[in-house]
Amino acid sequence: MIATTHEPSSRLRVLTRLGFWGSVIGGLLLPWGIMLAVEVIVHQVPFARAWRSFTLHLFAPGYNFFLIGLLTAVPFVVLAVLILLHLGVTPVQEPLIPRRRAVGLAGAGLGMLILAGWTHLEVLLHPDAQGALAYLYLPVILLVSMPIGYGLGRVIATILLPRPSS
Amino acid sequence: MTGNASSPTVLTPREIKLHLLGLVLFLGLLGLWYWLSTGARAVPTLIQMLQDDDPSTRIVAAEQLGQVGPAARAALPRLLAQATTDGSQHANTAAAAALKSIDLTAARQVMTHFIPRLQDQDAQQRRTACAVLGSLGPVAKPAVPALLAVGHDLDELVRRNALMALASIGIPSPPIVAALLEGLRDSSALVRQTAATQFAFTVPLTQPVRTALTPLLNDPDRSIATLARSALDKAKSDDVAQIESLGMMVQHSAARDYALHQLAQLGPAAGDALLPVLPLLQDDRPLVRYLAAEAIGAMGPAAKQALQALQQGREDSDPVVREAVADAIAGIEGATASSEKAARP
Repeated sequence: MIATTHEPSSRLRVLTRLGFWGSVIGGLLLPWGIMLAVEVIVHQVPFARAWRSFTLHLFAPGYNFFLIGLLTAVPFVVLAVLILLHLGVTPVQEPLIPRRRAVGLAGAGLGMLILAGWTHLEVLLHPDAQGALAYLYLPVILLVSMPIGYGLGRVIATILLPRPSS
Repeated sequence: MTGNASSPTVLTPREIKLHLLGLVLFLGLLGLWYWLSTGARAVPTLIQMLQDDDPSTRIVAAEQLGQVGPAARAALPRLLAQATTDGSQHANTAAAAALKSIDLTAARQVMTHFIPRLQDQDAQQRRTACAVLGSLGPVAKPAVPALLAVGHDLDELVRRNALMALASIGIPSPPIVAALLEGLRDSSALVRQTAATQFAFTVPLTQPVRTALTPLLNDPDRSIATLARSALDKAKSDDVAQIESLGMMVQHSAARDYALHQLAQLGPAAGDALLPVLPLLQDDRPLVRYLAAEAIGAMGPAAKQALQALQQGREDSDPVVREAVADAIAGIEGATASSEKAARP
């Protein structure tokens, strides 16, 4: 009886911590990872050369990959704080509440990840003089998409995790 | 951690606080990384990068040093060497462009190095010389007569590069605009297109130039006609509102160099922007003080009230700025005297 009560809450603790740090670090590394991947896979540049070029342009005027990473990371940091304050404070005695919240937050994170990934890929695959503007608008778009993704996640959670009938 | 098992919530308040603290620490580390990798702190690393075998590394390093500005003085010897002796033209131009933001005298040394090369037997040397002089921008003003002479070079790429360099230098405006107008009638389509491009995107357009460009709207070469349309669609540079907006732009560091350069090219028409330009004679950056002196000097009699401020500029720490200030004073006094003479019955 004790084991069954503790196991789900222990899993939730791990999930909350993973979600928090995954969101922070993932948001920062996502654009950099996509940049390197496009160089290696699409432009057929050897990884060592792509890596060298990437590090060279991290702080270079006109490129500033560091700033691009940081701009993309901002909404993911907000999501991380939300995971901590929304999921972390959930009472474990009612397992349905944290589960539904977890699915909602996963929906928000997944939606943001897809949107950010698609935007970065589009900018790199179809370069344009105004392309860099996408990096400026992306954080705003991601912040707006967060509650939408969360709402969708909660709807899915309500369908998949129905309240047990009393 | 043993307290977690009995915690009524997924994470204890202590755990939440620790995670938030960890996040703040992580963001602080990122800030520290940025701080250490930019500004004057990055100069030693960037100097090392200037010695790299890969030209793209040398180019990026030079560009970053240019952004650092006068605080990157330690890089001057390496940048001078790169601007004058590097085998890559792009590395030459990147280093020259950086030098103008760091030290005007060093930039003038590069100019002095390349002016004789405009007459080199090898066309590639002449092309590179034009490109490097252009990358120095308005600082290469003394190279304008030599570049105007190259406007009749037999090699079309030399003529094209010379026009691009002249447009990038921009001052003194009248002979440069005349050369660009002549370029519109060049035998090479490439040179004609380059000249039209400068009017569309670089050189501010005064009414006489607009009049000269109007017939090009019917040019049989569609690209030239399109560029002429782009140029004519631009806001009139000598328009009062346009001068006012340039006057506002000089107050913002991001657009200051551009706005001052535009005002310097507009000459007496830019007289209304004198007040915002005057304080820039005391700016920390020599390039800004130089451009401010050039802009004020070009205003002519309209800048008479700037003479006192200019006199203080005679003591400027930078010899290139001092020279520009002296030229500005002479120009304003000369123009004022001749206008007074003309006004006498």
